Amino acid sequence: MAKHLINIINPFLDKKGGLMPALHAVQDHLGFISKDNIRELAIAFNCSQAEVIDVITFYDDFRLKAIGKNIIKICQAEACQSQNCKELLHNLTSHFGLNINETSNDLNITLKEVFCLGNCAIGPSVMINDMVIGEATTEKVVNQLKVINAEE
Amino acid sequence: MTEVTKIFIPNETSANSVGANLLHQIIKKINNDEGIKIIRNGSWGAFWLEPFIEIEKDGIRQGVSYRNIDLSHLNTIEEFFLDFESRNPFDINDIDFIKKQNRIVFSRIGNEDPLNIEYYKNTNGYQSLSTAFEIGPQETINLIKESGLTGRGGAAFPTGIKMQTVFDQDSSLKYLACNADEGDGGTFSDRLIMESDPFALIEGMTIAAYAVGASKGYIYLRSEYPLAKDYLLKAINIASDNHYLGNNIQGSDFNFEIELRIGAGSYVCGEETAMMESIEGRRGLVRSKPPLPAITGLFKKPTLINNVVTLATIPPLLLKDQSNFSKIGSNKSVGTMPFQLSGNIKNGGLIETKFDITLNEIVEDFGSGTQSGDPIHAIQIGGPLGIYLSSSMLNTSLTIESLQELKGSVGHGGIIVFDNSVNMAEQAKFAMEFCVKESCGKCTPCRIGSVRGVEIIERLQKHKTSKEDAILLHDLCETLESTSLCAMGGMTPNPIRSIIKFFPNELIEK
Repeated sequence: MAKHLINIINPFLDKKGGLMPALHAVQDHLGFISKDNIRELAIAFNCSQAEVIDVITFYDDFRLKAIGKNIIKICQAEACQSQNCKELLHNLTSHFGLNINETSNDLNITLKEVFCLGNCAIGPSVMINDMVIGEATTEKVVNQLKVINAEE
Repeated sequence: MTEVTKIFIPNETSANSVGANLLHQIIKKINNDEGIKIIRNGSWGAFWLEPFIEIEKDGIRQGVSYRNIDLSHLNTIEEFFLDFESRNPFDINDIDFIKKQNRIVFSRIGNEDPLNIEYYKNTNGYQSLSTAFEIGPQETINLIKESGLTGRGGAAFPTGIKMQTVFDQDSSLKYLACNADEGDGGTFSDRLIMESDPFALIEGMTIAAYAVGASKGYIYLRSEYPLAKDYLLKAINIASDNHYLGNNIQGSDFNFEIELRIGAGSYVCGEETAMMESIEGRRGLVRSKPPLPAITGLFKKPTLINNVVTLATIPPLLLKDQSNFSKIGSNKSVGTMPFQLSGNIKNGGLIETKFDITLNEIVEDFGSGTQSGDPIHAIQIGGPLGIYLSSSMLNTSLTIESLQELKGSVGHGGIIVFDNSVNMAEQAKFAMEFCVKESCGKCTPCRIGSVRGVEIIERLQKHKTSKEDAILLHDLCETLESTSLCAMGGMTPNPIRSIIKFFPNELIEK
């Protein structure tokens, strides 16, 4: 049973500037921020729905619709550029048959690009959910996905 | 019979990215000897060695790099020890990469479990907070002023002067905001402090807050650092349990609490005014200055804003046996700087050293050249807004002054090496593309100018000799520099101009 939104955002209502952590919490629990969530958030934080949408759409991390269970972020910042991250991005997009910001039909994975994961001395780097892969190759990414899928 | 007492397996993002977690699982599983303690230490910052596993035997600690080595076939801990011995273990403190550094701020990383507060206290931890309580706020600020410390986040503003401004404000409520939105490509010094010595940051924040009179501190951490989040949350709890945070810290009348805020994937939120907007729960649009955050900052209250390394540098400054920090370097470039060597490099990692060191020393003596083995073609210093230097400029000293002369900056200390496969016109285009992506949208030159910039550079890639486009790009850079509110638009021209100047004919042909 899905948790009620109010329980999720309750800890942040009295915090100054609590909307950002509330949005993170909603997304962590529900996967994305729905129209209904926005309406309820606006009431809870005593602001307009436009203001909530304003914040959501500024930040790359927040999303308005469901994406893959596993988010694969491919670093495209300078240090990884020097280690052929563009080629890696090309290989991964063609391996999965997905473009950047696209989600697989089975909602298993979403590909994203990211600018710096702080793993710059052993790039190129890819992040799958919370795990960073150094000296990343298509093979390493695919194997890690297999491990994650097997664990479920 | 020799006695193994401890096995150290780092728990740090880079080490885990090449298998430290996996090796930990295997070794933990086969360790049936209760006398052997497995410790998840931080990283030493010598990333080419990771995962670097160490064993303490008869009081002597040595390690082995287990990069790309599978141990899943091992059945007993003795088999692991045999494997370990066969790989020529050595003391990490004996390698040049560590020996040649002057680690003051990063003196603890790698040694122990980063959450071991007893270890922290036994290695001068929390001595400086006691000193601050003894000498009082103004004297603490004076010591920081005298130390010559400047902000390590990028702008290199004198830390003590900023603190004095906040101290001088008459307000019953003041804030401290720690900028942990380390977004520059090629940087990881803040991450290393947070993951491998989080109490250093917490003590630094506590001293700074006491000095300026702030009762609440925020750490604004980028969402790309989940392990740092984990360590910080735990360290904040441990510090609170030990009365180093909360009310009446260590029996004093000083109250201070820290709240962790997580960013949401925006680079510009590393700019201090955009960061404040984000903490207040809004879009990360930059504010115009004045008013300075030190006067009207978070929630309209006086706010001290510093980055992670700057705050973590405060405790060593206040040590009674004076860490010699201020005796290193001169002018603005005083103390040590954690350079972060990355990109196409054999031995990349964290190098804490004096500023006055040449690029050649960093890249060759510490880094041992490119990983590909091909010649160096370009080195970018100071993140996406930093300049590119050519291979003929390796004698450049990395002081704040000498990089300013080249119209660049040390920034956050990132040094990214490119071999001769790099296409400099592409790098110039990326500078503009990054600005398109990350501009907050407030200033027109940054929001729209960057889009036009990409188009101009694309045209130049086809016709390097186009005088018209060369002039247009020059004018656009000037407009960006002089009419943007913050460094995002204001410094985006820096990498592009450096490519035009130091890499003739690679973007523009005369």
